[in-house]
Formats: sequence, C-alpha cells, structure tokens
Amino acid sequence: MLTLIVFIPLIAALVLLFVNKDDAGTIRTISVGAATLTFLISLALLSRFDSSLQGMQFTETFVWVPMFQINYQMGVDGISLWLVVLTAFISLIAVCFSLDRQVGFRNFMALLLALEAGTLGVFVALDLILFYVFWELMLVPTYFLIGIWGEGRRVYATTKFVLYTLVGSLLMLLGIIWLGLIHFEATQQFSFDIQVLSHMKIDPADQVWLFLFFLSAFAIKIPIFPLHSWLPHAYVSSPIPVLLLLTGVMSKAGAYGIIRFCLPLFPDAVDSFGLVIAFGAAAGIVYGAWIAIAQSDLKALVAYSSISHLGFIALGIFALNGEGIEGSVLQMVNHGIIASALFIIVGILEKKMGTRNLKDFRGLGKAMPLLYGMFMLITLAALGLPGLNGFVGEFLILMGVWTSLLLADLSVIYVLMAGLAIVFASIYMLYMFQGAMQEKNDKIPEGLTDINFREFGLLLPACILVVFIGLYPKPFIDRVSPSVESILTLEKNINLHAGEDKSGHH
Amino acid sequence: MLLIIKGVGFVIHVYSIGYMEKDPEFSRFFSYLNFFIFSMSLLVLAADFFFLIVGWAFVGLASYLLIGFWKEKTSAVLAARKAFVMNVIGDVGMVIAAFIIFEHLGTLNFLEVFATAKSTFRPNDDAILLITMFLLVGAFAKSAQIPLHTWLADAMEGPTPVSALIHAATMVTAGVYLIARCHVLYELAPFTMYLIATVGAVTAIFAGSMAIVQYDIKRVIAYSTMSQLGFMFLAVGVGMYSIAMFHLMTHAFFKALLFLSAGSVIHGLNDEQDIRKMGGIRHSMPITHVTFLIGSLALAGFPLTSGFFSKEAIIINSYHADMGNIIFWAMAIIGAVMTGFYIFRVYFYVFSGQPRTNVKAHESPVIMIAPLGLLAFLSLTAGFGGGMVDDFLSTYFGAHMPHPDDILLETIGLSAGLIGIVGAVGFYMTGKDRLEFVKQMLAPLYDLLFNKYYIDEIYDFLIVKPTRAVGAFLEERAEKFGVDFAVDQVGVQIREVSRLISLWQSGNVRLYAFNMIVGVVTILMFVVFL
Repeated sequence: MLTLIVFIPLIAALVLLFVNKDDAGTIRTISVGAATLTFLISLALLSRFDSSLQGMQFTETFVWVPMFQINYQMGVDGISLWLVVLTAFISLIAVCFSLDRQVGFRNFMALLLALEAGTLGVFVALDLILFYVFWELMLVPTYFLIGIWGEGRRVYATTKFVLYTLVGSLLMLLGIIWLGLIHFEATQQFSFDIQVLSHMKIDPADQVWLFLFFLSAFAIKIPIFPLHSWLPHAYVSSPIPVLLLLTGVMSKAGAYGIIRFCLPLFPDAVDSFGLVIAFGAAAGIVYGAWIAIAQSDLKALVAYSSISHLGFIALGIFALNGEGIEGSVLQMVNHGIIASALFIIVGILEKKMGTRNLKDFRGLGKAMPLLYGMFMLITLAALGLPGLNGFVGEFLILMGVWTSLLLADLSVIYVLMAGLAIVFASIYMLYMFQGAMQEKNDKIPEGLTDINFREFGLLLPACILVVFIGLYPKPFIDRVSPSVESILTLEKNINLHAGEDKSGHH
Repeated sequence: MLLIIKGVGFVIHVYSIGYMEKDPEFSRFFSYLNFFIFSMSLLVLAADFFFLIVGWAFVGLASYLLIGFWKEKTSAVLAARKAFVMNVIGDVGMVIAAFIIFEHLGTLNFLEVFATAKSTFRPNDDAILLITMFLLVGAFAKSAQIPLHTWLADAMEGPTPVSALIHAATMVTAGVYLIARCHVLYELAPFTMYLIATVGAVTAIFAGSMAIVQYDIKRVIAYSTMSQLGFMFLAVGVGMYSIAMFHLMTHAFFKALLFLSAGSVIHGLNDEQDIRKMGGIRHSMPITHVTFLIGSLALAGFPLTSGFFSKEAIIINSYHADMGNIIFWAMAIIGAVMTGFYIFRVYFYVFSGQPRTNVKAHESPVIMIAPLGLLAFLSLTAGFGGGMVDDFLSTYFGAHMPHPDDILLETIGLSAGLIGIVGAVGFYMTGKDRLEFVKQMLAPLYDLLFNKYYIDEIYDFLIVKPTRAVGAFLEERAEKFGVDFAVDQVGVQIREVSRLISLWQSGNVRLYAFNMIVGVVTILMFVVFL
C-alpha cells in the first residue's frame, strides 16, 4: 500500500514524459488522476490505521542491497500517517491549481508529481539509505521547478536553496554511513533499519557529531534560525503550486526527521543541545514575525510568517514531552493547511490584480465577497484564534515548553518570545487582510470578479479543516500520541510531565 | 451576569432592527451580533480556564468584526485592528496564566483550581502573583484599563447598538467578571489587589477627565464607560466583589440606555455625532430626551436612581473596606464629580438651547423607542435590587456586602455627583463667556485632555514606530548583510579558494616539475629526520 502511494505519482511522472507535450487534455487527466488516486489511498490508510498500536504499521520489507543489509523498508506510525495524508492532500491541490499553466505544462506536471513522490517517500521510509534517496529525490525536482518556472532572481534562489540543503544532506549521508559502521562494529553486521538502530547504544561523544550531521540536514530544511536565509529567496521566486509543496510539506520533512531520527538515536546529544536549538527556534519565531511586519510583498510576508510558524514546530519538538511533540505534529498539519491556503489566496490575488504589492491593494472585499470570507477565516486561523486549528497547536506547544524539563531554564523566556510573536502575528495578518480586502477603493479594476468555482473548491477543504481541527482535534491527537509516547520512551529521558495529562484541555 | 447579557442583548437586538434598517448588510450585522452573544455566553458559562480563554478570544473577534462592520470606512478598519491587537495581548496574558495554573495545580477546572489554590499557595507567593498579574493583563485589555485602554474610544467607530452592547454593557465588563470569578486567587495576592484598585481609581479619573472635553457624543460616553469600569475595578480591588457586580449590572442598564439614546439622537439627526452641531432637540425628540436624562441621572448617581445605590456603595467601601483607604476614597469622589459634570455637559449641549444646525430632528421609530423605555425603567429601579444581587452572589463570594454607617462620607459621596451636575449647569446654561474664559485659562490642560493625554501619540512613538523600524532593520541589515551575507560568503570563499587551487593546474610542465621536486624533498626530510 505504501509502495503504491509513493510510486503512483512517480510512475505518472515518468509516463507524462512520453505524452505529447501539446496534448494538454491527456496531461491533465494523468496528473490529476495520479494525485487523486494517491490521495484516496492515503485516506484508506487513514481509515485502516489502528490508533491503539504504538509501532509501525503497513510495513513492507524487501532486501535491496544484501551486502550492506540495505532494505527497501517502509511503514507509517501516527506521526508520519498525518504527514502522508497531508502531502497527498496538498499535492492534489497543487496539481489542480496548476492546471491552466501554459509554458512547459507537461514537464512542470511531471516534476511536480516527482516531487510529491519524493516527499511521500521521505515520510514512509524506514531504512536510512532509502530515506536518503527520497530525501534527495525531493530536492532535484524543486531545483528545476524553481529554476525554470520561477520568477525574479530564480536561478540565484534555486541554486542557493539546492546548495544549502545539499550541504546539510551530504553531512547527513556521512552520518548515515557512520551509523552503519557503528552497528557493524558492534554486531559484525550492517544495518540501516531505523527500528534496529534506535535500540543501539551509541557513545555520547560520537552522538554529538552524528546529531550535528543529521541536524544540519533537518534544521536547514525546516529551517531553524539562523539557517533560514534560503527561504525568502526560494519562496518568493517559487511558482505557487511548487510553493504549496515547499511550505506545506517539505518544511515538515525536516521536523519529521528530527522527531524520527534525532530524538531516538541521539538522546544524550539532544539533552545537551536542546536548549540551544530551542533558542534558535524561539529566536526564529520572533525574527520571522518581526520581519513580516515590515513586508509589503504578500508572498514575502507569508514566507516570513512561515519562518515564524515553523519555529513553533521546532520549539515544540525540543520541549521533549508529550504536549510539545503532539503539538508540533499537529502544528505541522495546521501550518501545511493554513500556509498553503494563504499562498493560494496570494496566487489568486496576483493573477487577478497583476501585482503582489500590498500597497496596490485596497477594498477588494467589495468585489470578491466569497474570497473575503475565506481569506478572513484563514487569516484568523493563522494568527492563532482559539477555536481554529492554529490555536490548538500553539497552545499545546507552549504548554509543552512551559512544563518541559529539558527547557526548564529558559522556558519562561521562550514562551514570552512566542507570546510576542503571536501579538505580532495578529498585527501582520490583519495588516495583510485588512489592507487587501477592506477600506474603500474607487480604483477597483473593472471586471474584477470573485473567485471562480475551481478556486473556491481549492480553498474550501482548507476552510473546513481549519474549523474542524480547531473544534475537534481529538482524532488527530489520538493517532499521534501513541507514536509520540514510543519515541519518548526510546529517547530514554521521558519527561515526567509527559504522561500526566493528555486530553484534559481539549 | 448571564442574565445581563441575555437581557440587555435582547433589548439591543430589538433596537438594532430599527437602527440598522437602512444598512445594506442587515443580515451580516445580526449574524455578528448573535455570534457575540454566543461567545459572551461561552465566556461566562465556561467552567474551566481553557473555555474561558476560548470565549475570551471569541468576544474579541466578535468585537473586531462589529467595530469594523463598516469595512469601507478607514477609521473603522484601523479601530478594529487596534482593538483586536490589544485584545490579543490580553489573550496571550491569559494563556500564560493558564500555563502557570496548570503547572502548579495540574488542572484548569475552576472548582478544582479554587479548591486547591488555598492549600498550594501562600499569600503573595511568586507563582500566585504571576498568575494574577497575567490574568490581569487579559482583564485590563478587555476592560480598557490603563495602559491598554486606547482601543475603547476608537471602537466607537462601530454602529451604535454595538457600542451599547459590547463596549458598554457586556464585553468590557468581562474583566471585572474575571476577577470576581477568580477572587479566590486574588485574595491570595493582596499586592495585585492593591494594583487593581489603584489602576481602577486612576482610570476612573483619567477617563473622566478626557470625557469632559470630547465633542463626539459617543466618545464621551465611551470614556465614561472606561471611568465606570475604573470604579468597578476599584470595588473588586478592595474586595467588594458583589458591589462590583451590582455596579456592573446597573451600569449595564443605564449605559446601554445612554448609548441607545445617543444612537437615537444620532439617528434623528442623520448620523451627526458632534455635540457642537446639536442643540435644542428637547422638543423634537421628547421621548429620547427623557430617556437620556434618566440615563444621565443614573450615571451621575442622582439619589434614588440605580447608579446612586451602586456607586455610593463603591465610594463608601473604598474607604471602609479592609483594603480601602482615604486616597482611594478621594479619587472615587473626584471621579464622581467628573461624571456628573461631563454627562450633563453633553445633556445641555444636545437637548437644551437652540438648534445649531438646520437638520430637522425627528423622533425615532417605536421599535427603537420601546427598548429605551424598558432600559429607562430598569435604570431607575434596579438600584433597589442591590440586596437581591448581594444575596444571590454572597454564596459564591462567601460574604455579604457590608453597609457601613458613616453619615459624613455618605453625604459627601452623595453630593459629589450633584456638584458635578451643578457645575455643568453653571458652565453650560449661563452663557458662553465664562466657558470661553475658562477654556483659555486652562488652555494647556485643555489641549492635553482633548488629545487624550497624547497616549496614542506616545504609543505610536514608543512602540509602533520602533517595531516597524526594527522590522525593516532586521530585513535590510540583519537579513541581507548578516545571516544571508554569511551564507553567500561561504559560497564566494569556496569559489575563491578553488580559483587559487586551479592556478596550480596551469598545464605548465616546469611548474609541475618544480612542485614534484619540492614534494620529494619534503618527504625525504620527513624520512631522514623523523
């Protein structure tokens, strides 16, 4: 089943290369069909997932390179389950969003699907080498997508993005090989199976280096402050559908990597570095929000706000307790939904108005009542209004940070920083929404129409989910928490607060 | 509290039907209004801090939506944003308070928290101080107390029924409700109580003084709301919770009445809000005139109106309560004098004298008048319900409100409102000369008050501008020449180094030979000497 999920988009991408590039109809059918099918299978995965089990489910194992014990091994637990569904969901939206693209339509679609396959692979791979393969597969299509179809300084942006993340991932490769060697020394056998490796004792001195190698890959991908500087360039240059995947799911791959690999494999290193990294995360929260206030380019504004929100996710992970990590996973889903919806709205506005500069917008709500309502809902979710999904995640994360043992020395400061950023969020989000949609404008272009049926359809699921998760996050938490428990058990330093209260505050 | 919300809410709904009749977005208005009622009910019915916060934020949202209801009006949009941001500051404070409570008590349920708080905390413990302070941030933001008060006057950009419902009768009193609800916690933190009482008393005077010089009828009433909220905070600060709730109730009646009467005036004068352009509409709007008068009397604390009983109780107790003292009392008296003065200033401006414009005033339709009558009745009589409110609440607060007998103070308190009224009569009924004279005498003070102590400008200068500047600085400097520059430099330096290395591969055979010899010599030296 997982193999299907990963390979349907990949095969569709290959098939697309053999289709006549002017045959837009066929291209559409294939790409939408593949994305839909993937999404449906991911939903089936969701319904058949047994939330009472702790370990991996739907596992598949084939021997791949017997000499080094490299296996083709896949599986999902509560954490990756949601990310798989999210990826399939956002990819479908991204594919649908790009249906009326003209230039290089076929190649664009093929690369988009390849990107989807890579991301899905990252979330389901249980073998480190396999993980690494997908990790790089994620990078390659992005390079071309931004470099060819991007805007502004697209080549600079994409080169920077790829080189930056490549540095991180090569270090990770080094770490992976080193891990394999450590296992070989201990048992005279190679293994790259994360489930096996995470039960292995690693010398704390080695852990530090391994941790830093892995972390460099993940922290750049998320990104954690101060490794974020590729993000504004890449986001601003990136075409909207690519951006949806970039912000919606690819940034989550980094956070996922930390939860899946860093925490269980290098508990001692996490203990000694957690406070510092959390500081980077907290600084990023404020930093991103603060810069966002000064933006007038909508895309840049949402990009910087993403830095801020992704900081929340990283911060929650290093709280290292139940609330924090559950909040982080939930916030990954939330941010995926909210940020992608915001970027869609930016894309729609840009298409209609021909500009993204906030100063050129004013009073558009009058001509577009439907978009007005949806924009407002998403804005409110993004600034963390209680009752909508952003709040649940942020509340859990901050609760986790506040009660965290690892961060106890500075937790108050971190929470206050986050609080400041929440206030900032309300400023820049309202600045954006009100600036674009409200007030009186006599110069609204003639013939400015409300969003059409397709655009409405793209935004509608996000709007529904925003409210649903906000009011009833239980189905999400229920599936995530056993997996978080098991990771914390592996982490061997279970925070005493972690198990106390799981649902009292929902 | 719920009774007040639903009661006043109903009356205002009826009134709004008339007031908003001509608005093209009639239905949107009512959906927002009902969303507000829902949120407010959620707030007061919540049995734990989590839902309290949810309700708290929802009413903030409802208030935002309603202030910004006329979304094409720039000032309304800005006012809405300001209100929302201020409220978010409060929300964050509440959330942090909830974290501390959860950390220490392991629960967010009101009953459990209050039951265990006494045994967990010692009075004036750090933790309890922090909890009460952070809760207070929420309460101050919502109830427009200094220093988070600036949004309330701007909030008057919204439709008048909204001002009456949200920014007078219900939402802004949520802060008082919160403190009364958490009185167990506050009693453990006497320091915070003093702070509350002080801020309350200061706000009462501060807002009252600003109300004296404003010309927008709704702004005057808005500042008066702030001032009355100050009284309520003074009451909770000295531990007189049921009196505060009593004043909250009477205030809800007479302030809603005042706002709706003002709305009726505004409606009757074709949306004119400047009191300098009103005047002499006593005859053309007789019913509104009477109801406004009743509201003013109650607000000023004229004997036997509802405001008299509740305000008198606060003033007396600000001295006689365990935590009261003469300073609080004096401030309360000053506040009361101001109250009488500013509201009758408006009254005389609007209803007496000659019309100052040509607009033909007309009485409002029955659907707007009927609610006014009901509220006027309540404003007159609710004062006698004080004992009932006390009985009702004493089980929760654990004590009846005391009735200190102190004829002297009572007389002074009673006369305070009257002095204010008489002062207003003196100034505004006896010709313009004296007024202008005083205005010139006190010109600097007048400017200060008229510009609301320049608080908005100070905030703009101290907070808004620096925030934007830092944001721009971070982008321009830290981002482009710091973080990003460093990353780019890595690339540049690597290219530089590889260029240097590539010089070695010049294809020059003699150079290669030379290098080889150097290498061989080096190796030989190692072999020989080591």
